[in-house]
Amino acid sequence: MNDLAHSHAFPAGQVAVAHAGSQAKALPAKIETRNLRFYYGDTLALKGITLALGDRKVTAFIGPSGCGKSTLLRVLNRIYDLYPNQRADGEVLLDGRNILNRSEDLNLLRARVGMVFQKPTPFPMSIHENIAFGIRLYERLSKAEMDGRVEEALRRAALWSEVKDKLNASGLSLSGGQQQRLCIARTVAVKPEVILLDEPASALDPISTSKIEELIDELKRDYTIVIVTHNMQQAARVSDQTAFMYLGELIEFGDTEQIFTAPRDKRTQDYITGRFG
Amino acid sequence: MTEHIVTSFDDDLDELEGLIRSMGETASAMVSRATRAIIEADEALSRQVVSEDLVMDARQRELDDKAITLIARRQPMAADLRAVVGAIRMAADLERIGDLAKNIAKRVAALGEAVAPRHYSHSIETMAETVLEQVAGVVECYERRDAAGLGDLRAADEAIDIQYTAIFRELLTYMMEDPRNITACTHLLFCAKNLERIGDHVTNIAENAYYVMTGSQLPPDRPKQDETATVSVE
Repeated sequence: MNDLAHSHAFPAGQVAVAHAGSQAKALPAKIETRNLRFYYGDTLALKGITLALGDRKVTAFIGPSGCGKSTLLRVLNRIYDLYPNQRADGEVLLDGRNILNRSEDLNLLRARVGMVFQKPTPFPMSIHENIAFGIRLYERLSKAEMDGRVEEALRRAALWSEVKDKLNASGLSLSGGQQQRLCIARTVAVKPEVILLDEPASALDPISTSKIEELIDELKRDYTIVIVTHNMQQAARVSDQTAFMYLGELIEFGDTEQIFTAPRDKRTQDYITGRFG
Repeated sequence: MTEHIVTSFDDDLDELEGLIRSMGETASAMVSRATRAIIEADEALSRQVVSEDLVMDARQRELDDKAITLIARRQPMAADLRAVVGAIRMAADLERIGDLAKNIAKRVAALGEAVAPRHYSHSIETMAETVLEQVAGVVECYERRDAAGLGDLRAADEAIDIQYTAIFRELLTYMMEDPRNITACTHLLFCAKNLERIGDHVTNIAENAYYVMTGSQLPPDRPKQDETATVSVE
């Protein structure tokens, strides 16, 4: 049964499953980090992370607060660049290209690697504009084309049926769960390749949370998804691969099924079973 | 293992483990009493085994309830999840062992009326001793978290299968010698079959307990020595 589930989740040869300390094998992966270090000023927050994120797979980063999981997520689209005194070294390969290079076009990178935050962050404008705004940064479209793209994005985010009659209403008039799906629609609208989700459901009620999780299942057909979550059951439900981090290090990385049924490292076991002192 | 941050979680798991231990002890006692009842034609002892089976059924239901509640309330993961699912399965096997012991015990009445040469049941007594060691051994290994011991136990099931095949042949011979032996020997044959089935449940428990402890399965190459399916009268 193990083997069956394994081959279902990971078609042969597609993904390198690296364990802590070992070098990820150079199999086709969407994003690969190699000996990635990250500094907040003089503080070393990531201590040489090496892992490979499978193409069109969902990878969950779990670990106690301060373990570096959000930091790792923030490196993947270089959003940390917005802040002084934060820097990364090592390599982050997106389709084999190191995005840490100075010459990297950050606007293009952030279009390819979209991000959704813990708190919904709709712009104070109409639902339609919330989505059209981002598209206009990268493309010039006719009104009809733009309307089509807005509808497509809202449909992908499973929000269309709820907002199609009030596209001119403010994005802020939506419920928290709807706002979060609007943010996902906004991210999807610019046709990214990777979507980074930082605690996307932690401020939502269980029904909205289920809708977001259902959405993740839908979206992974086309996108590589990385999710940071404190909710262990959520990580177990939505992800294909799970990385457990602790004190800036990658402790264990493997198939979600293995991590949550038979983790190899005692620290992983203690954390996911609620024994962490 | 380290304790949970939420201590009542540990209490819940301890309760499951306690129930498995108590079911294991009762199962052992039932197998022992059932064979003694057969060998000594002790009907009182046989009735005791029958009533103990009710206790086993109740314990299994209690364990199922507690395990399901624990899953619903605590969403156990990793070793905890394996422990809970393993407990449900082990309880089911222990309950079956109780059923089989009861079935042996119930034959005391039938055997009493038959012309049963008592010495015919001698080999069954030896087989029962082996089975009893296995039942007691598997519970002990589980309690001591002795994964290596479980592998040995499963391998030892081979001895039971060999004994069963020998008894099968022996009883066939008695029946051919004198048709008046048929009733008694048939009952004894069922007793031996039940003992052999108990051995199989011990094997299941060993495999489950191994998975609970290690997170991996025992290798699948279990020897099979029960040849009765191909034994015939020539």
